Amino acid sequence: MLRSCASRLRTPGALRGRLGGAPPPARDSRPPPRSFSSEVIYVDHSLPNPSWSKDMRLLFDQFMKKTEDGSWKRLPSHKSVSPQRTEEVKTFFPDAKPIKEHMSQAQLFPRSLEEGLGFEYAMFHNHVENRTVCIFQGGPYLQGVPGFLHGGAIATMIDSTVGMCAVLAEGVVMTANLNINFRRPIPLCSVVVINSQLDKVEGRKLFVSCNVRSVDEKTLYSEATSLFVKLDPKKSLT
Amino acid sequence: MIRRCFQVAVRLGRHRVLPGVPQVLPRLNPNSAFGSSTDSLVSRFCLKKTDLKDYALPNASWCPDMLNLYQEFLEKTKTDGWIKLPSFKSNRDHIQGLKLPSGLAVASDKSDWRIFTRCIQVEGQGYEYVIFFHPSKKKSICLFQPGPYLEGAPGFAHGGSLAAMMDETFSKTAYLAGEGLFTVSLNIRFKNLIPVGSLAVLKVDVEKIEDQKLYMSCIAQSRDQQTVYAKCSGVFLQLQLEEESSQ
Repeated sequence: MLRSCASRLRTPGALRGRLGGAPPPARDSRPPPRSFSSEVIYVDHSLPNPSWSKDMRLLFDQFMKKTEDGSWKRLPSHKSVSPQRTEEVKTFFPDAKPIKEHMSQAQLFPRSLEEGLGFEYAMFHNHVENRTVCIFQGGPYLQGVPGFLHGGAIATMIDSTVGMCAVLAEGVVMTANLNINFRRPIPLCSVVVINSQLDKVEGRKLFVSCNVRSVDEKTLYSEATSLFVKLDPKKSLT
Repeated sequence: MIRRCFQVAVRLGRHRVLPGVPQVLPRLNPNSAFGSSTDSLVSRFCLKKTDLKDYALPNASWCPDMLNLYQEFLEKTKTDGWIKLPSFKSNRDHIQGLKLPSGLAVASDKSDWRIFTRCIQVEGQGYEYVIFFHPSKKKSICLFQPGPYLEGAPGFAHGGSLAAMMDETFSKTAYLAGEGLFTVSLNIRFKNLIPVGSLAVLKVDVEKIEDQKLYMSCIAQSRDQQTVYAKCSGVFLQLQLEEESSQ
């Protein structure tokens, strides 16, 4: 089961949110709590939209089927972090300066581009095996070498996916190391599957690895290993 | 030579290139050295006379630290051999007249494709950065100010955004220092989070060039160097671009 209190420093916010589309068995079927401002509605972006290619939709459906027996869960994904999450994280940064007025438009990085242009993705988690899978379609604004996805864009999605795996296992964590081997360049606008796995936990250290493959699994695009550190509320970070 | 080197690179990892997968790299003349001099690469890359918008110029969103350091380096471009790199909307604009070797080039290329680090064009909201390159010392400095759209932890830049900025700085350095084109590996050690809207200074050095690969290191720090944000080592694969045949 997803930890409802699991906080995440770097990735998608509220684990509570509106679940649209074919509803997976939800632990909590009540409507989501209202946010502080009645104007704000947390839209779930990890759902098919017109910019999703056929491959992306097929994969999404395959994974949605896997959620039917309860072993897998689709993770909702929002543009910004909920106020509750912000408060939880702030306890680790007591000296953090207040965010200036004009920055109140902060958005979670992978969700800050218009539909279809940047990161289109959906994540699924298996709590028994501690695996998080992300299906990802990189749009035309993520170019590196002409025709291919920027190394930094796939690094961002790898960081988000392994990070989610770590958060769901242990709560508030921070990326300490990220080690990526790029085997082949990813064509722009194609769909890839990022499979991440929690390998072991040693005290406050979490070791997560992942690989990035094509939809048919025949092409291995990259592999990564990462180290996360579980934050200690008693120790200030800054 | 390239094919052998690529296979060496693959063998370093745990997985082999799967059989049946078409060969990615074309056969290149083993005698053609990576001989384009840095100077010729730079002059072609920097396109002095152009209508293209250069995004690596100060704007109202730049914090005072960034503006001051920018001025310092601008002075150094006159006296110390540094060059300010222009930053266009697409990497294609930097390599006009050149193309990827056939076999690698993507068939359709829409003109609305954009380089990742210029994906958010609203001033101050995404990546604000400028890269200075020193051709003879083969090093770069990137002044990077992450905007609110790059947030990860509330109030701080997403780790992926720093990874991307490091990859991008490596990429431009590798290309100009030795026709490095594709990232082979990135190894990042994160130390501290970067507050949104503050300046991070990335210093990149080319450690060595060997077996058609460029090995580089990067350290990202605050301006006063009191806070280290991250250290990173990166490896890029050399690949020569070809002249586009006149159509």
